[in-house]
Amino acid sequence: MREQSTEHSAQGAVGDANEMQQGNQGTKLTLAQVRAKLAGQKGKRYWRSIDELAGTPEFEAAVREEFPEQASEWIDTVSRRSFLKVMGASMALAGLAGCTKQPDEPIYPYVKAPEDLILGKPVYFATAFPFATGAVPLLVKSDAYRPVKVDGNPEHPYNRGGSDPITQGTLLDLYDPDRSQRVMHRGESSTWPVFLANFRGALADKKASGGEGLAVLSSTVTSPTLARQWKAAQAAYPKAKFVQYDPVNRDSAYTASKAAFGDYVDAQYKLDAADVIVSLDADFLSGAAHPGFHRLAKDYAKKRKLEGAKSGDYGMNRLYAVECMTTTTGLKADHRLALRASDIPAFAAALAAAVGAVSAPSGYTWSSDAEAFLKFAAEDLKANGGKCVVIPGELQTPAVHLAAIAINQALGNVGKTVIYTETVNPLPSIQGDDLKSLVADMNAGKVDYLLILNANPVYSAPVDLEFEDAMGKVKSVAHLGSHYDETGRAVEWHVNSAHYLESWSDARAYDGTVSVVQPMIDPLYGGHTAHEFLQSFLDNPDISAYAAVRETWKDKTPGKASDADFGWRKVLHDGWIADTAFTSKSAGGKAQVPAPAAQVGLDTLEVVFRPDPNVYDGRYANVGWLQEIPRPVTNVSWDNAALMSYATLERLGLEEQNIVEITLNGKKVLAPAMAVPGHADGSITLHLGQGRMAGRVSGGVGFDAYQIRPSGSPLHATGATVKKMPGTWGFAVTKSHYQDHRSVAVGGDGSGTHSIEGNEAIDRGIIRWATLEEFKKEPEFAHTGEGRDVPEPTTSMFPSYLYNQNAWGMSIDMNSCVGCNACVVSCYAENNIPVVGKQQVRIGRMMQWLRIDTYYEGDLAAPRAHFQPMACQHCEHAPCEQVCPVGATVHTPEGLNMMVYNRCVGTRYCSNNCPYKVRRFNFLLYADYETESLKLMRNPDVSVRSRGVMEKCSYCVQRITAAKIQADKENRLIRDGEVVTACQQACPTDAIVFGNINDGNSRVAKLKKEERSYGVLADISTQPRTTYVAEVLNLNEELSKARGEFAS
Amino acid sequence: MAQIFDRSSNALARASLVLTGLIVIALGVTLDQLQRSPWVTRQGQRADQPVPFSHKHHVEGLGLQCQYCHTSVEKSSYAGIPPTRTCMNCHAQIWTNANLLEPVRESWASGQSLVWTKIHDLPDYAYFSHEIHVNKGLGCSSCHGRVDEMPIMYQQNTLQMEWCLNCHRNPAVNLRPTSEIYNMAWKPASDLNPVWCAAVDAKPGTPTAGTVSCTTTNPGGGTGAGGSEQASLHLIPAANAQVTDAPAGAMAAPQLNYTKFTSQEALGQFLIEHYHIRSPRELSSCEVCHR
Repeated sequence: MREQSTEHSAQGAVGDANEMQQGNQGTKLTLAQVRAKLAGQKGKRYWRSIDELAGTPEFEAAVREEFPEQASEWIDTVSRRSFLKVMGASMALAGLAGCTKQPDEPIYPYVKAPEDLILGKPVYFATAFPFATGAVPLLVKSDAYRPVKVDGNPEHPYNRGGSDPITQGTLLDLYDPDRSQRVMHRGESSTWPVFLANFRGALADKKASGGEGLAVLSSTVTSPTLARQWKAAQAAYPKAKFVQYDPVNRDSAYTASKAAFGDYVDAQYKLDAADVIVSLDADFLSGAAHPGFHRLAKDYAKKRKLEGAKSGDYGMNRLYAVECMTTTTGLKADHRLALRASDIPAFAAALAAAVGAVSAPSGYTWSSDAEAFLKFAAEDLKANGGKCVVIPGELQTPAVHLAAIAINQALGNVGKTVIYTETVNPLPSIQGDDLKSLVADMNAGKVDYLLILNANPVYSAPVDLEFEDAMGKVKSVAHLGSHYDETGRAVEWHVNSAHYLESWSDARAYDGTVSVVQPMIDPLYGGHTAHEFLQSFLDNPDISAYAAVRETWKDKTPGKASDADFGWRKVLHDGWIADTAFTSKSAGGKAQVPAPAAQVGLDTLEVVFRPDPNVYDGRYANVGWLQEIPRPVTNVSWDNAALMSYATLERLGLEEQNIVEITLNGKKVLAPAMAVPGHADGSITLHLGQGRMAGRVSGGVGFDAYQIRPSGSPLHATGATVKKMPGTWGFAVTKSHYQDHRSVAVGGDGSGTHSIEGNEAIDRGIIRWATLEEFKKEPEFAHTGEGRDVPEPTTSMFPSYLYNQNAWGMSIDMNSCVGCNACVVSCYAENNIPVVGKQQVRIGRMMQWLRIDTYYEGDLAAPRAHFQPMACQHCEHAPCEQVCPVGATVHTPEGLNMMVYNRCVGTRYCSNNCPYKVRRFNFLLYADYETESLKLMRNPDVSVRSRGVMEKCSYCVQRITAAKIQADKENRLIRDGEVVTACQQACPTDAIVFGNINDGNSRVAKLKKEERSYGVLADISTQPRTTYVAEVLNLNEELSKARGEFAS
Repeated sequence: MAQIFDRSSNALARASLVLTGLIVIALGVTLDQLQRSPWVTRQGQRADQPVPFSHKHHVEGLGLQCQYCHTSVEKSSYAGIPPTRTCMNCHAQIWTNANLLEPVRESWASGQSLVWTKIHDLPDYAYFSHEIHVNKGLGCSSCHGRVDEMPIMYQQNTLQMEWCLNCHRNPAVNLRPTSEIYNMAWKPASDLNPVWCAAVDAKPGTPTAGTVSCTTTNPGGGTGAGGSEQASLHLIPAANAQVTDAPAGAMAAPQLNYTKFTSQEALGQFLIEHYHIRSPRELSSCEVCHR
């Protein structure tokens, strides 16, 4: 150790003496110094986290240990002698433990077996996940009629098999042990018949008066059948009040479309036809929270795959993003501009003016950077009229939507890259206004029976409406909900709802195609649906949801003479009703862009409310997978934070993790502060959905941003004040968790402008990218330059393996990966990965087999970033295999690097020796062997790992084996595309391709032959089986020049 | 001062040294044997079952075919335990009042499963697939023994990993034609039980059963010694038409070139080649059974 450091000083003296010594003598850079150094930095120099750049003591401590904090050090005071005694005894006991016999196992055969069921073979059913922004068509894997995996329907024209983190997470939501399991009456257990008698009695009482005093508050209605029932109920009770409200809703889009077209319409963007895309705070690449995410992401990625590059047809799109909080969309953009949320409406108007759609707004001053961005983006748009598109953010004001409509109209995009259609949600309404009027009625005593369907307004209604107080003025409140949540506890009647995987319904995908939601399993706790509630309003109250859905679509599902149910069965089989996609609606009228409000000074703080990227508005807060998976960009697991830029953090006199009190309109909330690279200055982003009181997972996680969310400006509000409070809040941030002690020895260049790992990222080519122009000039860019040489396979001292038939490999397209995390959640579900909790994540023990590394580059305020999914690389010469003392990690004849859990004794040498840091160790018994409902969820083809066992990505070996058995039975080779890994299946952009690299015609083999294909750390001759396709950015050279990017 | 230890102590000390060694060895051997003993493996143990179901009676006596109850053995990893309904197919008509069958009637009436004790119980981390074994020429009796002669079901083999590997490292010793999978009386090919096999000119993608045609009677005419004995025990009443697994077209084609096998090793090698059995290296790789 000592020697090493001397050697280092010597090297430093030769090289950059001054700075190296700074690094060695512990004079660390402060964050402010780092910031100053990074300011204006351009060019390919990478960093992963600021702690790392500054070399804070915490970071130094973290990298010294394989698993930070208390993980590997023997800190006990036991002497060597007594240690050996204890070890000897435990060895003997362990030997004896191996002699135990298995307990008797009972078999419970069916009494009457269901037809067509083959136990041990999964069955797949088509259904759809009804989400407020549009349904996600699904194909659900069912094992003995238990849904065990949720994935996109690969044949559906909308998503083509893609999904997203939330959709993947709904599986755990179904088996959530905290789901409400019974009807509750004033906190006591009750039953459905008792409730129903009471409820129908109340309805009967109201019938004569036409429903006077009756109100229904529902979450967004997504089902056309429910809408039909809703309208019929409204007609039967004309004086009753029917209101929809979701805290994250489409009010802006609907307000704008009403203003522009006089009617509610949805905009569908056709990114496969767009060469230039401008996002006005539209985060359309990070998840289902943006309507049409799956289609938009797929079409976006299709134009970045450079499939025709060899023939000179690059066909690449260019994405400009303007946004406040840094999102994956912004980081994927070729050009990104950080603007405060309250400045974006004016910027949108200015952009509209620049393309000649409207006249320019006055009274706004832009930075020179924003001016340049505006000028060149507008020029690019104008030059690509009809081949460009402007997408407004769902959570931006109506003015931004109007500006986008105006620009798209002016540039002739309508009908080409954007079409206006009927709304996907069957009952569009301005939900914020409706809720306000409902609360006014409640306060005025006009409501005496309130029915709340699948909503949690006590938690999520704007704070100034004081919903709970208003509810106190209502005589009787009934609540249908999946959890016994804040609202459920405050009302007279709570009824447990059925999950969408347990019930009949229907929903429309973003393109309008109708999917039938069919149950995968009988309701676990006998839950009920909104269909049953609304049907109770009608003359024939006992019609089931199934009958109601069939009734709605009877014209679209015609039978045949021989088979009356033919059409219906076809719909259930396919998963959608053919020819129900929306067609373009002639949307007359021209958008008038309202004059933007006066610009707010930078010293006035702005608060921006956004749904959490993982748990959305809070409805998935109890899903452990979604809580644990690090949020994109911030890499925070198990928390939310007051997110702001480094400059704002400094201006407010804060440090990261400080607890602050944010006051807005007199309402206060405590939140921990966190800095985000690239966040707009003078603005604080708060993610909704955390700070729940109940739930074994969600309880006590984060803070509740609804506590200051005003009804007047629910998207972003100005005039907040921030006060530093005593105390700090420890985050579980995962970005620096996978450091390697090697990096300490290698050292950065000490300038504080790129990090140790970042240093390696460039020196050793972990991240390789070029601009489109560079790529055209030098297609081989990924293999030129220093550190890119891959040693000959024969240089290894270990013998090569021989692969006769299959040799599995993976290729990941860095251009397509949008960092959305869908693959990670899919991996959790497929491989029975346990959730470990915040404290374990903080000490570096999270178990995810697949992570998405984010490498930042350049200025702290305006970084670029590169997303790299990183899982076991299945090295040909795997360092882990050589060091395992018990042969628990072995090489298979098809080139997989396998874990044999039963052999593993937990030395962790393998993880120590893994250059990619992708191995995960069960320090404690993380797998939940007790909870009944979770047993149903597990994938029966994968072992549930116990304590003391190492695990890692297996390339979904269970799927490979299943395909092999099928192929062997049929005496053929496995076809290309027959084995699909869980991550590949979930990927909405088809970034991951898996297959047999021995077969020259397979997609993966072809991708590996691409000139852009490279292996990470291949210079140490590991010969990774996973390779990456280097990124190409389609920069607007003039804008780059004007902003001084990549000056070097 | 008198000596504490007299001369005999030397011998005692030597003996105890030897004895200690022996005890350690004996302990090791005992534990090793214990681990392989029927007490641990349950080999040969008859568990208490709700109904003393006799495979001997139903298979040997009545001639039920294995798949009548174990329906998914060719299609899934799991062979399948019959639902109560399968029992009631017959027992709604015969032995309707038998005391022994009371649990079955009880299950049928109440809708509650009969709870059997699993006899062939692999550890949860071992993933075994019936499907691939029976489709590739491994018969029921190779692992389960003469089930047709078991009045009460028991486990014939240890089902321990070394036992699995014995075959995975040398599958030739246990392979048989797929037409003989359900033949409980199958004996490995030998001078006394010769087997005639011919490769069928099959396209790739033909299921394994269609790739080879085998018979235990001499296809060239005359009866092989002992062949008739095996044939008479066929569970599928195949009469004298012994060519049971060749496709219909091949049956009519007399030009099949049969080879006579009088040793199991030779038959096994022939089947390995024509059934496309993976190599021992692949078959004994960890991920085949553990994941």
